[in-house]
Amino acid sequence: MAAQPPPPSRTGSVGPASAGGMGTPTAGTPGSQGSGSNQNLNQIVLEYLSKKGYSRTEAMLKRESGSVAFDANGTPLAFADRHKGRRWHEAYNVVKAWVDSILDIYKPELSRILWPLFVHCFIETIADCYPTDGRVFFQECRKTFDEEHSDDLRALSAIQEPEHVQQNDIAQLYRTNKYRLTLSKMGFATLIEFLETKESEGGKSMSFLINNHLDIHTVDRAAIGGARGLQRLMDEKRGDEQAPAEDEGIPGHHPGSANLDVGATGALHRLQLAPMPMEPDLMDDVKAELNHEDSTHPPRAGRSSLADQFEQRIKVEPSDDTAPSRETIPFPPSTARDVAMEVQKVKENRDRFRIEGKTGGVGPGVSVTMFTFHNTFDSVNCIEFSDDNTLAAIGTAESYIRVWSLDNRALTSPQDPPGFQPSSSRRLVGHSDPVYALSFSPSAAVPQPQTNGHTDHSTTPDSQPRYMLSCSADTTIRLWSLDTWTNLVVYRSHNSPVWDVRFCPHGHYFASASADRTARLWSTPQIAPLRIFAGHDSDVETLAWHPNGAYIFTGAGVGDKTVRMWSIAQGTQARIFTGHAGNITAIACAPSGHTVASADDKGVIILWDLRSGRLVKRMRGHGAGGVWSLDWSVESTVLVSGGADNSVRVWDVQPSNETQAKANGENGGPVKLDGTAANGTTVSKVAKAKGRDQATPDMISDFKTKKSPVYKVRFTQMNLVLAGGAYLP
Amino acid sequence: MSVWNPDNITDVAESVGIHSLPKDVVDHLARDVEYRIAQVLEEALKFMRKGKRVTLGTQDISHALRLLDVEPLYGYESTRPLRFGEASLGGMERLFYVEDEEVEFEKLVNSALPKVPREMSFTAHWLAVEGVQPSIPQNPMTNADGRSQDQRSQDLIPKTSSSTSDGLSVKPAVKHVLSKELQLYFERICAAILDDTVPNHSDLRNAAYASVRSDTGLSQLVPYFMHFISDKITHSLRSLTVLTHVLQLVAALLDNPFLDLAPYVPSMIPAVLTCLIGRNLGTPADGMAHFALRNLASSILLRLLRKFGNKAKSLRPRAAKSAVKAWLDPSKPFGSHYGAVLALTSIAGTDGVRSLIVPNLDVYDGILREGLADDSRREHAEAVVAAIMKALQTLEEDGSGSHGANGLPDGQALRQKLVDAVGEVIGNRVFETGGSALIAAVLEKDLFA
Repeated sequence: MAAQPPPPSRTGSVGPASAGGMGTPTAGTPGSQGSGSNQNLNQIVLEYLSKKGYSRTEAMLKRESGSVAFDANGTPLAFADRHKGRRWHEAYNVVKAWVDSILDIYKPELSRILWPLFVHCFIETIADCYPTDGRVFFQECRKTFDEEHSDDLRALSAIQEPEHVQQNDIAQLYRTNKYRLTLSKMGFATLIEFLETKESEGGKSMSFLINNHLDIHTVDRAAIGGARGLQRLMDEKRGDEQAPAEDEGIPGHHPGSANLDVGATGALHRLQLAPMPMEPDLMDDVKAELNHEDSTHPPRAGRSSLADQFEQRIKVEPSDDTAPSRETIPFPPSTARDVAMEVQKVKENRDRFRIEGKTGGVGPGVSVTMFTFHNTFDSVNCIEFSDDNTLAAIGTAESYIRVWSLDNRALTSPQDPPGFQPSSSRRLVGHSDPVYALSFSPSAAVPQPQTNGHTDHSTTPDSQPRYMLSCSADTTIRLWSLDTWTNLVVYRSHNSPVWDVRFCPHGHYFASASADRTARLWSTPQIAPLRIFAGHDSDVETLAWHPNGAYIFTGAGVGDKTVRMWSIAQGTQARIFTGHAGNITAIACAPSGHTVASADDKGVIILWDLRSGRLVKRMRGHGAGGVWSLDWSVESTVLVSGGADNSVRVWDVQPSNETQAKANGENGGPVKLDGTAANGTTVSKVAKAKGRDQATPDMISDFKTKKSPVYKVRFTQMNLVLAGGAYLP
Repeated sequence: MSVWNPDNITDVAESVGIHSLPKDVVDHLARDVEYRIAQVLEEALKFMRKGKRVTLGTQDISHALRLLDVEPLYGYESTRPLRFGEASLGGMERLFYVEDEEVEFEKLVNSALPKVPREMSFTAHWLAVEGVQPSIPQNPMTNADGRSQDQRSQDLIPKTSSSTSDGLSVKPAVKHVLSKELQLYFERICAAILDDTVPNHSDLRNAAYASVRSDTGLSQLVPYFMHFISDKITHSLRSLTVLTHVLQLVAALLDNPFLDLAPYVPSMIPAVLTCLIGRNLGTPADGMAHFALRNLASSILLRLLRKFGNKAKSLRPRAAKSAVKAWLDPSKPFGSHYGAVLALTSIAGTDGVRSLIVPNLDVYDGILREGLADDSRREHAEAVVAAIMKALQTLEEDGSGSHGANGLPDGQALRQKLVDAVGEVIGNRVFETGGSALIAAVLEKDLFA
């Protein structure tokens, strides 16, 4: 340790902070000359002030500089000298002890400040070249955060040398960004006061960290009530939540906006959430077809005609939502296939099994068909079902894709040699690394004649999915033809493994998410991406489309943990949602287009309201290991999830009680949020859960499988749930 | 200091020709190596997670290395676990290395191909139907505690915060514990039944039977008795006394009104049938004694079927099938045939005699004649004939006699007709016993035919 340079001191620049958003980080002056030159400088300034008669300023400066420069053994420099490598450790312990013993009403909010302080104390210790002390500090103090920040802790625990600090993603994330945190005015004032009194015992160091690396917003507790008010406090008192608030964290955004500028008040982008309007020609064709269908097969008594159903469907647009225009997102002209698919959708929509929300305390009974894959030897990475429920595909760790026909039909190809006996399964070989996601092009399910007596249509070959996308660790995305079972296009542009790929709900476009921290938008005929969505601070692990095809949602892993909403037309970030404590593993947007659900690998599912950009509620129940798939019922009333804990769960998505009214009251349009007011409005009272493993009351059912992790859940257009999993004995 | 042993750094440095590395540098490098390893693991975990697995594999590591722009380690892509060897470097130091397996080329080429792994396939089942999980084998038995009955109402009502959906600990099924008293009782009964050494033994045995016949608290012991019975019968086929005593135990159990034996019938039937149609019961020295045992078994079988025949539908057909098979098997001794005829009589009653015995008498005649001709076996054959006659008697009792003697020829013609119908031996016997009702009953088949 003898060779270590003296720790840099930061005495010169630090004054006791009196306001939250205090200036930019200031460079510390080197310790050796710090006290001396400071003294001179202070002398000059003091002389100047007394000459000008700024007596109060003079007194203030005297008081402040007194403790810094003149006090022989009370300066931070002395403190640092005394403790050397334990300097940050001591300082952290002082704050920690204080937070632990503080009044209960401040404890919840102030305990949130410990995590960023812990990270920075650790990084600073390492950066000061005290690896042993850093390690001791880390091991001693990590317990508090084991639950919530396990991933970050694992990443940080590796850091041992100052150069690692420069290279480690997490460390850099914390060093180059400010950690945003909201405290009540009183809480923050008490904290600052405390740090001032403990100035010589490390308070100075802490003030330094808070000024440089934290972005603390103060709110008036009395004024806001709600989220940070008494109600929240009562919840916390019951030992309830240890989850980050939705504005807390590194991206440090204003809740509900994508504006990352520090201090900016969030002006929300106006979102276009209504369904994409139909092409006029297509609409005419569909109407004609429906009328024809109605006349040949009049609806059963008590059922509306297809034409009525269709009218109803296109008229339900709420007036406060605008629809994206077809000009901004061009599509190829519609074909007969599109007409057939639209007609089929209307039919299915009419004949579906209706799932209303929870009524009278009783949840709807959902039916789930489980497809279990055997003899997989844990090599299956993903399972996907086609929209028409005729095909299932798996992507494997052995780089191939396998497609099965669910109704045991032979999968034929015009290229089959004569005499070839096609089986009900096909292998698609092309990738050179594990396949991580698959996506079928849109298709419509053809109802079986025996279940729906009134449709005597034989299977129209038209409505089957014709293409499938796959993405792999070999950084490529491939488009496969399901007619010939061959590879049509290879899309290369990502330079890291591609984790997820999804077709647009209307086809033609697709989006991909990659370990290179970008999501990209493509159209099938072009081999270069149309848009690159950059902004995530770590791997983009999963993505989902908005049902109108105008937005995509991306979720990121370790370090970032945000869900972001991107506009296809502008290529910009429209919303950002923070609040997850684990890696985002699945996202699904409700068919109504107003809510998005995201799940993480700690088993928490969060619902977000798109228009206000706020958290609706957290739902707990899944075990650790990840919720791998989410889907919504056709009516957007029920959410179904499947995951690593061998279960399929059904959730009630109604916002819990009073917050619902508030969320509804706040209608669309460009909502101006001015910090404080916003905090009070829509944040839901999070459901009460006694322990981590206990389910929140909004879980309707929990269906366990037999040793089969559930990789995929999907609601069909008729509201039947398909679940896919691999049996792993 | 660091988990990574700094000595490794020194070793590697020496291997590339750097001999005097300062300690500070070594420590620093060791820490750096540790950081790099952690970095690779961090990336590898990502691949594991995206592969939806819970075990980190060598493939994940090589993918992570590739992502970090490092050349992957080749040669470790193994699906089987790596074997680590351990070597001592003297003192306390130990060295671990991956063992290289030596494979003989000749052997490898000539060895059989490994088994092809089973084809990947899928099955579909209902995980839930309208919110209720059906209890089918494909679904887990989470409902063993009886929740399955009313799961819907259980699961769909809003959960209060105190609801114990996940925290509920499922109690394991209660282990079958037999009290000391019962164990003692069981031992005593078994001993009393089997033990022949005590002089006034039959008293003791009778007392045991009486106890089994009437005691109330024996239901816990039933499985043990069943095991005892089948065990003794399979292992004591040579000892007629043991078999008899055990069959009497069965009878006693059947007599007990407080026991529900229905679940055990399937295991009792084979035991009783063994005593009935078994090929070699007792030793040859026992002579005709085993016929008595067969009679006893037949009566027990009759009682069993009367009591449980309605509950287990397949019981009668199955028992009848094995009896017919034993009867018509010429390789079996007459003892088995005798038992089989008795069994058929008791299993199927008059209908059985009519449809199973009478039509087959013609075929069986050959075997009978052969037996009667052979002096050593005549006695046994006679017993079978008696049994058959007895079976035919039941027909007589059953037959309403409405057919009378109408249309039946007289004298030799009748005898001939009987012989044609049921074979020579039985035909003559029937003719000789002479009851017109019996003759009518035997010939009934012809009348209907």
